[in-house]
Amino acid sequence: MNETNESNGRQLPRAFAADISTDLGAGRAVELAEIYALDAVTGEERDAIEEYIRTAPEAEREAFHERVRQARETLAMTFAVEEEPPADLFDRIAAQLPGIPDTGRVEEPARPQAADELAAARERRHLRRTGGLRNWIIGVAAAAFIALGGVGVGAYIASQNDPLTQVLEAQDVRQATVEVSGGGTATVSIAPSKDALVVRMKDVPAPPPGKVYQMWLIPKDGSTPVSQGLMDEEALSKPAVVKGIASAAALGITVEPAGGSEAPSLPTVASAQLNT
Amino acid sequence: METPNAPNFNTPAPPGSAVDLNRQLAGLLERIAGGDQQAFAEFYQLTSRRVYGMARRVLIDPELSEDTTQEVFLQVWQSAAKFDAASGSPLAWLMTISHRRAVDKVRSSQSSSDREARYGAGSQDIDHDSVADEVDNRLEAEAVVRCLGTLTETQQESVRLAYYGGLTYREVAEKLNAAIPTIKSRIRDGLIRLKNCLGVS
Repeated sequence: MNETNESNGRQLPRAFAADISTDLGAGRAVELAEIYALDAVTGEERDAIEEYIRTAPEAEREAFHERVRQARETLAMTFAVEEEPPADLFDRIAAQLPGIPDTGRVEEPARPQAADELAAARERRHLRRTGGLRNWIIGVAAAAFIALGGVGVGAYIASQNDPLTQVLEAQDVRQATVEVSGGGTATVSIAPSKDALVVRMKDVPAPPPGKVYQMWLIPKDGSTPVSQGLMDEEALSKPAVVKGIASAAALGITVEPAGGSEAPSLPTVASAQLNT
Repeated sequence: METPNAPNFNTPAPPGSAVDLNRQLAGLLERIAGGDQQAFAEFYQLTSRRVYGMARRVLIDPELSEDTTQEVFLQVWQSAAKFDAASGSPLAWLMTISHRRAVDKVRSSQSSSDREARYGAGSQDIDHDSVADEVDNRLEAEAVVRCLGTLTETQQESVRLAYYGGLTYREVAEKLNAAIPTIKSRIRDGLIRLKNCLGVS
């Protein structure tokens, strides 16, 4: 049924020449469809085939495209090798997407130029590992919205020495506001120099009866999220200090049964990438 | 040299899960075209193992494979709007982009003799180790193995050298010590036979 030239020396109508240009000149462009689909031609030959097809009669062009399409479907079905890419690859890709709004990533403050390139590269790799696809999706799902801005330190700060004040007045503090699904916002003030952050909830509804909000730090190394405490209705109105953020990639807030959970339940109601 | 093509009595294989996957991917591509990042993340989750798996087969080197995968998905993000269902399934579209990128990269980074040597060292029985074990849908995997079996040895070898070795027809001919027109025919005939057996329409 696929009668073509086998290598028996006979010249059948669809017999190929040694080079692509001769094939094209002899009207065999359509017969090249499979070789083209397989990328088994050089760049120049590919260009020559495409150029020929662009100006070919419609019937020939369509026949060529149809054969290419079928060959590509066949190849996609046949060569299906799967291998898990590195866990941080998605983050690296997401970080490069052009023209997308920021979605839950707290920007790094300006840093002094790294003294050597290697250190800079190491740092970039380190940053890339923070987060991961799962967090990225959660961030999007929670419709987190980061508003960057100056830090307004309120007059309610009572003492210069309490942990809250130390975070909010740190030199390197930066602030982000994320939306909480269900209503309201959570403002996160991050002070890497203090290895701590402060979360302040605004207009966030009380948790459903029998439930509490639970805060988690999601470690950079991909290990299990670590509970940072519970927030009931009353606690919602107070700022919460979370310490030990250096090893964390993100902060997440979930709704859990009263008393809290060992591990977070999905979905997350709010999350923020920390990039410490 | 070639054994004559045996008559093909095989019935077309049902595409199975590939149809569902493609339907899902088509919906995601539409959303990606509108700038939907979550759709992009889902698309990546569904397809990155295939893209990376193929890149590893062609390039071997993990870093080059990561670079290729990265380029492929950036291209998906940028050209999702150009995806045209009339010219093929989303998976075929994606794997076409991926293979082209992997082949361009392997050709610019390694000589053809390296690729041949590497291919020879690294190639196992692809239809068994990869297809049968790694495609979710067993029926489809079995159809692929069965259909590959309908190709002559030399057809299979030529197609594989080109696909995973990144070789041009000319390089395949050199490697197999065969005439160039013969190799072109083997590739064409092999793929057409495979297509007919798999019921690709």
